[in-house]
Amino acid sequence: MTDFKSLQVLDYFKPLFLKVGIDYEMMRKILQLKLMMDSRRMPTIFNGSKVKKEGNQFLKSLWLYGLYGLLMLTPFLFFGNDYIFQMSIIFSLLMFILMSSMVSDFSAVLLDIRDKTILHTKPISNRTLNAAKVVHIMIYMFLLTGSFVVIPLVVSIFKHGIVFALIFIIEIVLICCLVVVLTAFAYLFILRFFSGEKLKDIINYVQIILSIGIMVSYQLVARSFEIVNLKISYVFEWWHLLLPPIWYGAPFELLLHQNYSTEMIILSVLAFVGPILSIALYIRLMPAFERNLTKLLSDSSRRKKKSQRMVNLWSKILCRTEEERTFYRFSTLMMRQERELKLKIYPQLGFALILPPLFIFSEIRTRSFEEITSGNGFMFIYFSLLVIPTVVHMLKFSSNYKGHWIYRAAPIQNEAVIYSGTLKACIVNFFLPIFVVLSVILTAFFSLDILPDLFVVLLVAIMVTLIAFSMMNGEVYPFSNAYEHTQDMSTFKVFATMFIIGFLAFLHFVISKIPYGLYGYMILLIVTIFITWRVLFPKKISEVS
Amino acid sequence: MNKEKILSLTDLTMSYGSKKILNGINLEVYKGQIIGYIGPNGAGKSTTVKIMLGLIEGYGGKIEIFGEDIAKGDFSYKGKIGYVPETAEVYDNLTACEFLTFTGELYGLSSENSEKKAFELMKEFGLEAAFHQRLSSFSKGMRQKVLIISSLLHDPDLLFFDEPLSGLDANSVMIIKEILAQLAAQGKTIFYSSHIMEVVEKISSRIILLVEGKVVADGTFEELQEQSAEGTLEEIFNQITGFTEHKQIAERFVGLVSEGSAHD
Repeated sequence: MTDFKSLQVLDYFKPLFLKVGIDYEMMRKILQLKLMMDSRRMPTIFNGSKVKKEGNQFLKSLWLYGLYGLLMLTPFLFFGNDYIFQMSIIFSLLMFILMSSMVSDFSAVLLDIRDKTILHTKPISNRTLNAAKVVHIMIYMFLLTGSFVVIPLVVSIFKHGIVFALIFIIEIVLICCLVVVLTAFAYLFILRFFSGEKLKDIINYVQIILSIGIMVSYQLVARSFEIVNLKISYVFEWWHLLLPPIWYGAPFELLLHQNYSTEMIILSVLAFVGPILSIALYIRLMPAFERNLTKLLSDSSRRKKKSQRMVNLWSKILCRTEEERTFYRFSTLMMRQERELKLKIYPQLGFALILPPLFIFSEIRTRSFEEITSGNGFMFIYFSLLVIPTVVHMLKFSSNYKGHWIYRAAPIQNEAVIYSGTLKACIVNFFLPIFVVLSVILTAFFSLDILPDLFVVLLVAIMVTLIAFSMMNGEVYPFSNAYEHTQDMSTFKVFATMFIIGFLAFLHFVISKIPYGLYGYMILLIVTIFITWRVLFPKKISEVS
Repeated sequence: MNKEKILSLTDLTMSYGSKKILNGINLEVYKGQIIGYIGPNGAGKSTTVKIMLGLIEGYGGKIEIFGEDIAKGDFSYKGKIGYVPETAEVYDNLTACEFLTFTGELYGLSSENSEKKAFELMKEFGLEAAFHQRLSSFSKGMRQKVLIISSLLHDPDLLFFDEPLSGLDANSVMIIKEILAQLAAQGKTIFYSSHIMEVVEKISSRIILLVEGKVVADGTFEELQEQSAEGTLEEIFNQITGFTEHKQIAERFVGLVSEGSAHD
């Protein structure tokens, strides 16, 4: 077995663990195994033969956190003169990132129920097992936080001096503890009152929000530099006592600015006492947490069938055969209920939703409002189409891909309906809602005159869906591949589809200059879509009647 | 027979919320017994085993294993127990070798020792070629064998086997049956649950039937036969659980299957 660096570092703390009655050797063994399993996160159906990248995906993503640290945290070090102000902002961001990555990346660790049957049946004390769990999470937390704050930390040494940096480090450790415990509390709370399925859904949504949040913050970073020069001074309000990031801003004021006001002292005390108290509480509540974990397997709160009226209505409108309707409904269910799929697709959709308004708003800063509303700014909606190829590509995958035997086992007359049903479901469930929301926003901005343009965009979106499908999915059943193969999408094909979208946007622009050109284009598109659909998904005439 | 008491349950109760799972189980198990623990789905078999292993807390009553009350919090008794869980859960991104070595180590064996022993045992099951393959690629039967090995590596005195035969082929079932018989002859105590009545009938030295969290029958197969005047364990099982409608249910079921058939 490989020995891990993190464990070698941990060895220095061995006496500490022994002192509190933890079987260190045993804990180390468990950790070693867990870390090894993490480095093989992908389940290998191919026994290592076809898996391209093996290695801890988390470690590989660390440099990205370093980059976020540079972009998101560092600018605030130059933000005004009140330490409490800049540091509170930095700690808010830090806590947001830590908390959400805790939920998204480490819930698997915290909520692993296999531990119960495999580890708890062995002659090991609960204390040791719990310690193993917490240390396992802490190792990752440490790495993540480390790479996240390393650049701001170095910058802070130069900007504010070594004492500042020291306080920074100590507080980061405290914040890490606080975040781990708070997350566990959140789970405890949810598991206490809801079913395990609900918790998994909530985790799923947090993951989605995190990915969207990071993508959006990317866009906002540029803007954050502009407000750096603002002069804002901090005024204490009583509700600040409830905000942990402000607690952690206070010690800087207290120690470096010699601000010995009562509120600064209270806030600073909270910064130290908060994590300690919560850890004590956590240890007390750990058994309750473990007990509730068994609920994870249950889906007891659901008894009634969900209403399918809308799905049935759409399937009646869009599908020609009963077989296609079946697949439409099936795909809709998969798209709505498979968490992993949602995790891959929803951030893309969020991106599509946010990009066009974002571009338009940034235009406002350079040009007048009237200038924009009368212009061609709505064409930014074409940026949303860029996500279509990825989304269509994702439809091939599922975490329950092994269920795809059903396609082969069932006597399906015309296999084309599997694909067409899925694509229709994809357009209705994913693209249409985004399109409608964007249309409302854009018409509010640019008046109703752009409706024909928007309709053309919708047709182009359908066209792009078809092109992307024929280029990338081919004869692969939907939801029939493991996620490990999502990287198979060739960059060439991605660029090709991007180019096509760009070209179609340009075409739209040119044609809109010709009188009535837009309507002609519309008809042309409808006809092309109709023909392409027929070619891609032929209606096989069944000989046996 | 040596009458050394291994395990005793006194008034064991357990409830989830308002739902009562176990309604006062009293049981004494002696050294060398093979106990077939049977009962309908949801009778509380797995729950009993899990409570005894300390996986579930909050039970009522008293449990003594090897003469020690397990509520006292001394976990070392687990070192003399081997467990095959009903849900065949393993860390399946490990190889069989890694998983078994790890389990051995958890029971306090040295790494080399447990790896060597695991390999020898795997070989006997004809799985030596799969020793370094990941468990995720294993079939249900192979996994089950790995779990059985993992429960025996440390030479335990008491075995809890929850559905140990699921997924195994007829030949493997024969091997396992024989292994259990020989282990019991060596003085090990085996507590196992199964739904396959023929097997339970053949290998158990004592059969305990659990219905709705209560022991409703307890004795050797012959004793049960005398009590209920039925031929096979399956029939006894049906009789005691008061289940006689299997024909009617099957008739209705088949009727529903052929109703509204798709190929007419």
